[in-house]
Amino acid sequence: MTSRSSRKPDGGGRSARPLLEAFKLNKTYGTVQAVRGVDFALSENSYVTLLGPSGCGKTSILRMIGGFESVSSGALALDGNRLDETAANQRPINTVFQNYALFPHLSVLENVAFGLSYRDVAKSRIKVLAMDALKTVQMEAMADRRPRQLSGGQQQRVALARAIVNEPRLLLLDEPLSALDRRMRKDMQIELKDLQRRLGMTFLHVTHDQEEAFALSDQIIVMRDGLIEQQGTPEAIYAKPETAYVADFIGGSACISADVTGREEANVVLKSAFGTFTVPGVPTLNIGDKAVLCLRPEQVSVVQAEPEGKAILKARVVHQVYRGSDWLLECDCGDQIVQVLHRDTPPAVGDDVTLAFDTSKVWAAAADPRAGTPSETGAA
Amino acid sequence: MRRSILSVGDWLALPVVAALIALCCAPLLILLAYSFFQVDFVTISHDLTLANYAKIAGSETHRSLIARAFGSAMLVVALTAVIAYPVAWFIAKRVHAAKSTLLTLLLVPLYSGDLIRIFAWRVLLGAEGAINRSLMWLGVIDEPLSGLLFSPLATHIALTYNYLPFMVIGLWLAFESLDDTWLEAAADLGAPAPARFLRVSLPLTLPGLVAGGLMVFVMVASDYLTPQLLGGASGITIISAINDLFGTAFDWPLGSAIAWTMLSILMVCFGLGALAIRRSSLVAEDV
Repeated sequence: MTSRSSRKPDGGGRSARPLLEAFKLNKTYGTVQAVRGVDFALSENSYVTLLGPSGCGKTSILRMIGGFESVSSGALALDGNRLDETAANQRPINTVFQNYALFPHLSVLENVAFGLSYRDVAKSRIKVLAMDALKTVQMEAMADRRPRQLSGGQQQRVALARAIVNEPRLLLLDEPLSALDRRMRKDMQIELKDLQRRLGMTFLHVTHDQEEAFALSDQIIVMRDGLIEQQGTPEAIYAKPETAYVADFIGGSACISADVTGREEANVVLKSAFGTFTVPGVPTLNIGDKAVLCLRPEQVSVVQAEPEGKAILKARVVHQVYRGSDWLLECDCGDQIVQVLHRDTPPAVGDDVTLAFDTSKVWAAAADPRAGTPSETGAA
Repeated sequence: MRRSILSVGDWLALPVVAALIALCCAPLLILLAYSFFQVDFVTISHDLTLANYAKIAGSETHRSLIARAFGSAMLVVALTAVIAYPVAWFIAKRVHAAKSTLLTLLLVPLYSGDLIRIFAWRVLLGAEGAINRSLMWLGVIDEPLSGLLFSPLATHIALTYNYLPFMVIGLWLAFESLDDTWLEAAADLGAPAPARFLRVSLPLTLPGLVAGGLMVFVMVASDYLTPQLLGGASGITIISAINDLFGTAFDWPLGSAIAWTMLSILMVCFGLGALAIRRSSLVAEDV
């Protein structure tokens, strides 16, 4: 893949204008509101993941950007130009479909060359460019095969080549790795990230797998029920979840309900059923707000004696899972399960233990405002 | 265990296979034998000869009648395909709850029988028929169009109408198994709507087109009543010629030879159709 210049806007005066912007984007199917007025922006040369459980609206967003679904209300802009009124075949955007959607009646090479015949490419160049794209994904040896003669991973690569050969401004990937086995998935993650860096394209990747999102992304957009819950770098989302939902979905945190009773610079004072803790937290938390204390399994340890400068919880081990390199203990602190990573021989199930965590390392996030108020989810 | 279950299946299939051989293959072979005999005044001589086939090849009338039968069949296949494509697409992709209702409606005319449908077309196309009357009432024409009925036009309208359901069914099945994401992928890659049809929908529904087309082709090529009752002077077909040879002319060998000539051409068509389906790669050719 060489000349990428053709599709770029005038190279010189490239401002910080985002590549793609969504304004109050809405998608309604009948009475179901799949996407509920989201705003986001994708920058050039970045790997962005739309992350969320199934039914959160992430695929609807992808399909609206691709042009396969109409936008119910709101707008999309690509390079500052209105996108949502352009037909799918006119958009400088290509998609890697979840089931790959390779044309079964065409050879691998013909599949990859398909898009080039609708672009301003000389006939003689089409085959050369298609072969180049196949080389990029190490599939040039399979050029004459039919898609059905390829394994899932190979079809995946051909689908990638078929999309990137068109040098799109934006590449959409709809759960591209979900059909592959675990090992293949890990390999493809590395290759996808590597490919994105080499091509300098923007990739927008939809997935429900947080591990995959962390492995790939420069930016993660966490979605829930048609709304964006939080967006930011993987580090920010992992270390500083804004809501209890993100803390739970991303890090598997135990979320202990608490009230904010004070602020000390960057720290917040949380009063919970297990004591009062002063911990770092979301800056927007104010006195009187409902909050949660997020405890990730690796932040909590089982201790024999009460250590200096650490907060403690009394608990009983209710479950243990052996995971090879460590054990995952589930400890009941009384109406609250806290998971603990434990490296050595673990205490037995039923043992009373003392759990300790460093208050400067844990995090306070906003309590889930939507929990317990289902009417807030709007249209039926 | 598995083998014994399968062998029960073999035994159950036996009567059907036997019936096929006795009722289908054997008469055709007898017909084939007759095509090499010859009429000797009022008896049939059993000396083998190719004279009947030579006569067909040498006769302008027979050649043109055979060509016309297959030409008509091709024309009707083309007409039904053009009409059936949008209908089949609509039933497969745009209708959900009413799907079986529509398919039943499509087949209802077939229950009424050939003759009824042919006479219905007479009522529509005749000098006093609905079409002529409406056109005259609208002032488009002053006197009835005489070419509507008893013409090749009337024959082909009725043939197209009669055999359309077979084409729709073939294409409908093909559209049912056509995954919409292929069309989305084609649009995604920049193909405008006409190209999406020609490069994706058409090749991927080709097996349905071939299957429906072959059914229509065979039935039109061997249709006897429709040209006879609606074609007027054009109603003489190769099939009516065979009828005359077996009936009034008592030339069974020549009739058999014509029948086998038709059959051979049809078999070639079937072979080509099967090849087309295989080439379309939708039948698995495993690694």
